[in-house]
Amino acid sequence: MGRYLMLLRENPVLTRELLVNLRSTRAFVIQFLYVLFLGLVVYFYWPSQGEGSAQVGSGVARRLFDLFFLGQFFLVALVAPAFAAGTITGEKERKTYEMLLASPLRPSQILSGKLLSSMTYLVILIISTLPLMNVCYLLGGIALSEIARAYVVLILAAGTFGLLSVAASSFFSRTSSALVVSYLVILPLAVICLAVTRLNQSDTTAREFLTFMSVAVVPPWCLATWSVLGILINRRLLYPPDVGSEGREVVDEEEELKYAIGVVIDRDLFPDKLFAPAKRTDLMPDGTNPVLEKELRSEIFSQGTLMLRLVIQVSMLLSIPLMAVLLFLKSELAGYYVAYVLTFNLLVGPVFSAGSITQERERNTLSLLLTTLLRPGQIVRAKLVAALRVSTVLTFLLTEQILLAYIMLQELWDRLWTLLVFLLIILVTCLATTTIGLLWSALSRKTSTAMVMTYLTLLLLFAGPLGLRFYLQGFSSVSDQKIAAWTLTSPYSAAFSVPMEPPRSETRTRPRSTGGSVAEVALIPGVPLPVWANFLILYPPACLILYGGTHVAFRRRWWRAGEAT
Amino acid sequence: MIEVTHFTKHYGEFVAVDDLSFEIGKGEVFGFIGPNGAGKSTTIRFLATLLRPTSGEGRVAGHSVVSDPMAVRRVIGFMPDDFGVYDGMKVWEFLDFFAIAYEIPYRHRKQIIGEVLELLDLTHKRDDYVNGLSKGMKQRLCLAKTLVHDPPVLILDEPASGLDPRARLEMKALLNELRGMGKTILVSSHILSELADFCTSIGIIERGKLLAAGSIQSIQRQLRAHRVIKIQILGDSTTQATTILEADPAINRVDSFDHTLTAEFSGEDQDMARLLSTLISSGISVHSFSEEPLSLEETFMIITKGIVN
Repeated sequence: MGRYLMLLRENPVLTRELLVNLRSTRAFVIQFLYVLFLGLVVYFYWPSQGEGSAQVGSGVARRLFDLFFLGQFFLVALVAPAFAAGTITGEKERKTYEMLLASPLRPSQILSGKLLSSMTYLVILIISTLPLMNVCYLLGGIALSEIARAYVVLILAAGTFGLLSVAASSFFSRTSSALVVSYLVILPLAVICLAVTRLNQSDTTAREFLTFMSVAVVPPWCLATWSVLGILINRRLLYPPDVGSEGREVVDEEEELKYAIGVVIDRDLFPDKLFAPAKRTDLMPDGTNPVLEKELRSEIFSQGTLMLRLVIQVSMLLSIPLMAVLLFLKSELAGYYVAYVLTFNLLVGPVFSAGSITQERERNTLSLLLTTLLRPGQIVRAKLVAALRVSTVLTFLLTEQILLAYIMLQELWDRLWTLLVFLLIILVTCLATTTIGLLWSALSRKTSTAMVMTYLTLLLLFAGPLGLRFYLQGFSSVSDQKIAAWTLTSPYSAAFSVPMEPPRSETRTRPRSTGGSVAEVALIPGVPLPVWANFLILYPPACLILYGGTHVAFRRRWWRAGEAT
Repeated sequence: MIEVTHFTKHYGEFVAVDDLSFEIGKGEVFGFIGPNGAGKSTTIRFLATLLRPTSGEGRVAGHSVVSDPMAVRRVIGFMPDDFGVYDGMKVWEFLDFFAIAYEIPYRHRKQIIGEVLELLDLTHKRDDYVNGLSKGMKQRLCLAKTLVHDPPVLILDEPASGLDPRARLEMKALLNELRGMGKTILVSSHILSELADFCTSIGIIERGKLLAAGSIQSIQRQLRAHRVIKIQILGDSTTQATTILEADPAINRVDSFDHTLTAEFSGEDQDMARLLSTLISSGISVHSFSEEPLSLEETFMIITKGIVN
C-alpha cells in the first residue's frame, strides 16, 4: 500500500503537470465559469414564490438531476480523451519521450502521473458541482443515494475513459490518431451507459436494475479494465517498440497490410480510392495542386493504416446493431441512425482538418511551403478539399445502411424525399466539421489546441442546442417555436425534425418526427420552414464565410509570419 | 544581387535586428556570422520573404522583398535552419512536389530532378522515404529542393548545423561546387571555420547589429590592433624577454608558458622588426619569432567580445 501511495506522493510527472495545469489562472477561471453556468441553470429553474411553480412543471429536481448527470457524462466522455490522449503522444511529438523513458522513473509512475494529472482537473470540475446537486435534492423527487451513485459513475467514467485515452496515446505516435481512436472506443461505451440510464425511472424493477448496475457491476468491471489497461501500458513503456531508429516513423504500407486483421485498405479499389487514392508512379501532371496531391496521397497514410482501419472497423461494427434497431425494427427512428452517422463525423471530421495547417508548423515544413510560388489561397483550398474528401467518404460509408433501409422497407417508399434530406444533412455536417476544424487550424499554434477548440465549437453548435431544448422544455411559457429556433445550428435537431411516419398508425393525421421539434421557424423573415430546411439553408453560406475567415487568418498569421517559428 | 537597407525588426520591446545594411554582389559568397540569437535567422527570414520588417527594405535581384515577395521567391532558393520533411513521401515525390510548386512544367521536371539528385549524390536514395533519411541526407535533400528551380540566389541558414564531420565536409564541397556554378550565396553559420575557406566576404552580426562586413582580408586588416606574436626562446631568459616586451609601447599583453611567449601586438610591421632586433641585441636567444595568423574564430571572438561582456 505504501508503495502505491509513493506513486502519488513523490511523483515528479504528476507534480510537474499539476503545478503547470492547476496553478494557472485559466484553470480557476474555467472552474468558476463552469460552476457559475450550472448555478444559473439551477437558479432559473428554481420555483419562486408566486408563479414559479406554475412556470416550471413538476419533477424539477428530476429534470435538473438528469440534465446534470447527462451533461457531465457527456463532458467526461468528450473532455477526458482531449486531456489524456495527448499525454504520451505529446512527449513523442516534442521528442522528450525517450528522455522520460530513460529516466529512473518507473513506468507505473509515469502512467499514474500522466493519468492523474490529466484527470484531476476534470474530477475537480465534477465534484465542484456536487453542492449544486445537493441543493436540488432539497426540492424533493430524488434520493440522496441516487446523487451519490451518479457521482461515483461519473468519476469511474473519468478514470476509465482517461485510461483508455492514455492507452491509445501510448500506442500511436500522433495525438490526432490517439484522440480519434479513443473517441471511437469511448463512444459506444458512453452510448450504452446512457441507454441504460434512460430506462423508465418510475418502474421499480428498472430502478433496482440501475442500482444493481451502478453499485455491483460497473465498479468491478471498471477496476478490471483499469488493471488490464494498466498492465498493457506498463509493458509498452517498459519495452517501448516505438523509439530509436528502428521505430522511426517510416511505415511501409505493404508490409503493414500483410499483418492487418479485418478490413484491408486497397487504394486501387472503390470505395477506398475515394479517400486514399493510390500513390503516383510518375510525376504530377502540369496544373496539379501539389498540396492537394500531397495531402491525399501521402499524408493520410503517413502514420500507417492502423488508425484508419480501426476507425472503419469500429464504426461499421457499431452501425450493424444500430441499423437493425433504428432502421429496420423501428424505421420511424431513422433520425437516430442519422444522428449516429453525424456523431461519427463530429468525431472523425476534425481529425483530418484541425491539424492540417498546424502540423505544417509543428513539423517545420511551413517555411519550405511558404517560400514556393504557391499562393495562400491554393494552400488553404487544397487543405479544405483534402480534409473534406476524406471525412465525407468515411462518413458516407455509413450511409449505405440508410440506402438499404429505404430500398427494402416498403413503408419508407412514400417518403423517399426524406432520404435526400438525411443525406443532405450529413453532407452539410461534413462541410461544417471540416471548415470549422480548418479555421481553428489556421488560428492555433498547436494541433492539440486546434483539435480541442474544434471539438468544443462543434459541441456547442451541435449538442448544445439539444441540452438547451431539454432545459427549456421545463418552462411551460416558452413556445415550441421559440425552442426550435434555438436549435437551428444542430444537425441532430435537423435530423430529428424530419417527419417519419410510424408504421401502421393511420389514426395520426400528422407525421411524427423522431422526437424532434415539428415547429416551423422563419429564419428568412416571413418564410416559416421546418428545422431541417433552416439548417440546410443556414450552413452552406456560414461555411463559406468561415472558409473566407480561414483564408484571411492563414494569410495574416502565417503567410508572411516567419517570426512564428 | 542582395541589398539590405536599414532593416529593423522589433518583437514588442525586444529589438532583434537594429538598422542593418549590407550588400552582396553577383557571384559572391557571403558568410553571415554571429552567435546564437544574434539576428541572423531573422535577417535571413526577412530576405526569404517570410517576415515583415518593422522598417527598412530589402531587394533581391532588383525585386523588393517587401512589396513584391512573389518575384523574390522565384529567384531565391531558401533553406531554413530548422526544417522538417513530409511524412509518407519518397525522395523523388518530395522533389516533384517542390518542382511543381515552383511551376516547373512536366517536360522539364524529370530531367531536373535527375540532375539535382545526381549533383547532391542522392540518386541511390531516389525511392526511399524522406523521413527515413539520416540528418545529413535530409540536409542534402533540402539543398536539392532549393535547387530545383535553378535560382540565381541561394539563401542557406546554417546548412551544416548538426552534421557529422564527414557530412560537414561534403556540404562544404557542395557549396564550393555551387559557387563554381556562379550562384550568389548567402550562408549563415556560427561555426566560422566552415565559412573561411570559400566565402568571398563575411558579415559579423551580434545583438542585431552588424559589427563588420567586407572581404575576409579587409576585416582582418581592420583588426590590425589585435595581432598576436609567438616567440620561442632558448635558455632561461624568458623573464628577461617578458620584461623587455612589456616595456615596448606596441605590446599590450604578454603571456608566457614554458619557453614560449605569446604577445598581443598593436603596431605596424616596422615595429615588429624593431621588437625582434631589441630582443636579439639584449642577448636573448630567439629560437623563433612569428606572427600568428588570425583565424576567423579569433576575429569573431575579438569583434564580439566587447559587446558580450
